[in-house]
Amino acid sequence: MQYDDHIKQLALFVWDAVLHLPLDEEETSPPVGQRTLSACVHITGAWNGALALTCGDGMAAESAAIMFDLERAGVSISDMQDALGELANMIGGNVKALLPEHCHLSLPMVVEGIDYSFRVPGSRLVSRIPMRSGEHRVTVSLLESDAVAA
Amino acid sequence: MSTTVTKAQIDARLIMPFVNSTRNVLQTMLGLATTIDRPRIKSVPAPEYDYSAIIGFSGQIVGVVVVSFRRETAIKMVNAFAGDEVEPDSSDFSDAIGELANMIAGAAKKDLGGVASISVPTVILGKGHIVARPSDIPCMVIPCKTEAGEFAVEISIKQA
Repeated sequence: MQYDDHIKQLALFVWDAVLHLPLDEEETSPPVGQRTLSACVHITGAWNGALALTCGDGMAAESAAIMFDLERAGVSISDMQDALGELANMIGGNVKALLPEHCHLSLPMVVEGIDYSFRVPGSRLVSRIPMRSGEHRVTVSLLESDAVAA
Repeated sequence: MSTTVTKAQIDARLIMPFVNSTRNVLQTMLGLATTIDRPRIKSVPAPEYDYSAIIGFSGQIVGVVVVSFRRETAIKMVNAFAGDEVEPDSSDFSDAIGELANMIAGAAKKDLGGVASISVPTVILGKGHIVARPSDIPCMVIPCKTEAGEFAVEISIKQA
């Protein structure tokens, strides 16, 4: 199954419906050396893998301000983590609907930092979509795994 | 929230299984004796060490457990685990980090009682990263020392 187009459309749908912001495909990867947040939801069951959403702290702060109706200046790091986790959860939930029945979604795991990478052991990258929302870069990745949760 | 209140909310019965499983897994799999330092409460999200493996709990136990390693510690432990030198940038390396965390969480899960599932691990590589924790569950850090170096087990779980 080719996931790129589906993921692109689902991310675009979530960005529009939840944040009322545009989301366009971007050719280049996010720059290194900036503070980013990554949210990851695991999918287990008939299909195993994970969906990850990565963006800069600016996008995360803007998302939190919109989703929780906050002043941008009043957004905390915890708000950003919650917002990104929820966005990943929504995209992951929609991706799950494309997969074989009887799949479950984990709670989102969120990490932040400047120079880090994340991996899901035993998985391979099946889709990676770099996108842009205004001035912010956003990347959605789907990993398929042979590992099964206990 | 005051530290006193947070302390009162932490159930020692949820912590001891991880102390025991950490000791057992490291002794059995790596032949390493583990010294457990005084556990502390992590009140503010902050980086622990360089490499982290995150395991989610769901079911009757919910939350997240993070096993975080100093880079040098992780390299020594993975090499001992694999019985060979493993390149830190390789997928085998992150697989091994994830598997050690999976064994620690899996063994602890059995002693926690109740019906709970643990997620596939997510492995984070990079100095200074911060793992988000559930805001409604206090985090207890168990500092661990071995001949291979230091690491920590961060426990943010509760009975559902």
